[in-house]
Amino acid sequence: MTPDQLAQAIVNGINDGGEQFLEGTLAAMLPVIWLALLGLHLGRPYILDMIDRFTLRLGADLLWLVYVALRDFLIVSGVVMSFMFFFPDVVTGVSLPLTGGLAASVLFGVLLIKLVGDPDHDPRTFSLVTWLLGLGAALYFIPYIFGVQAAGVATGTFADFSNFLVTSTNPNWAVALAYASVALLAIMGAIAVGYTLRTGGRAEAPEAQAQEATASTQA
Amino acid sequence: MKPDDVAQAITQALVQGGSQWLVASLVAFLPAMWTLALILHIGRPYVVRTLRRCGLRLGADVWWMSYLLTRDGVLLVTLGMSLIFFMPALVVNNALPITGPLAALSLLLALAVKLSRRVDDDVAAFRLATVFLVAGATLYYIPLVFAVEGADQDYLKWFSDNLTSSSNPTVALTIMWISLAGVVLTAGWIFFRALASVNRKVAGRLPRTANIVPPTPAAPTRGGKAAIS
Repeated sequence: MTPDQLAQAIVNGINDGGEQFLEGTLAAMLPVIWLALLGLHLGRPYILDMIDRFTLRLGADLLWLVYVALRDFLIVSGVVMSFMFFFPDVVTGVSLPLTGGLAASVLFGVLLIKLVGDPDHDPRTFSLVTWLLGLGAALYFIPYIFGVQAAGVATGTFADFSNFLVTSTNPNWAVALAYASVALLAIMGAIAVGYTLRTGGRAEAPEAQAQEATASTQA
Repeated sequence: MKPDDVAQAITQALVQGGSQWLVASLVAFLPAMWTLALILHIGRPYVVRTLRRCGLRLGADVWWMSYLLTRDGVLLVTLGMSLIFFMPALVVNNALPITGPLAALSLLLALAVKLSRRVDDDVAAFRLATVFLVAGATLYYIPLVFAVEGADQDYLKWFSDNLTSSSNPTVALTIMWISLAGVVLTAGWIFFRALASVNRKVAGRLPRTANIVPPTPAAPTRGGKAAIS
């Protein structure tokens, strides 16, 4: 082996190791983020109960804003960190939960509902968001626990089932689901962009406001 | 191989490997930064809706300030990280999205719109900035997902051969130089606009000679101290 070959081998090792370390860290952080955002979303009644006990409006406002910021930031972080599920080479090369990309799409769907709806004041959209978060968590945790984590210890039929739930041992399904997730994300992204362009970044569309104003004047 | 050769090889590997790892990390984080920038920009209606429900001005101000700082900070950091797309050696030697420089140019144009017009008050300007951001993100995502990160898939060979900078260096360098020209023009326009704006403000604050009132000495009081009214 020449010094150049040795140097190249070490360079490749550093690059591949660094990439795998990064993807491994993201994959290890995602379950924590999913749990935290689920906890914050489901803990909303507890926060509202605490807000009622504040004697100062300032404290209540700040608690609510910190809660909303943390909860939504975790959802955004979940989508951003799930981006590796959309890369065909990554899903075929790294052991990831098979339906992780769909879970990320569902999480993006939650953001879309928050954008066009009002889950904090409309019980129907809040229920929809809750169902979507539950679905997303199931899509992430079931293949993560029974596939990625159990693959090393499972035997027999359960081993086959475990391998089916891991992207690197089920590359055809993994790539197909990655493309399905990308398509879902693109469609929902287009809807979000269309909504924002229509409203011009305002809370509601100007036309809708004008119609509401006209209706209230006529009433 | 002698011990010195091994030491030299490891040193070279650490330098080259560290450099490549830094570039690879930036490329790996850019999709996250683009997604974050888009979500924060497009999510403005939700942020405004939450803002309206604040009972106190202080909470609303803190909320809005945090949003603005995060949103525009992420845009700036994304632009800074996109600098790698304008380095010819990196473009030719690394597998980067071929339209990455155009994406960076779109991002700079969105920032230029924000600098030149009041995007948060002017609906047309907000829409223009949104169009630039979405165009930039699309130019980044498509070659990244289907070419750079799909190079091992046989049926995506056309994408990886044509939309990856290292496998199509001639086109990649052409796109890079064109985008660089656009960046220089846009940055130059921003620079001279900022300069003209500062000059206008300074000129507006300077007192006119006709209105200058000659200073009058304070009336002396006992003990030589001026009276404070």
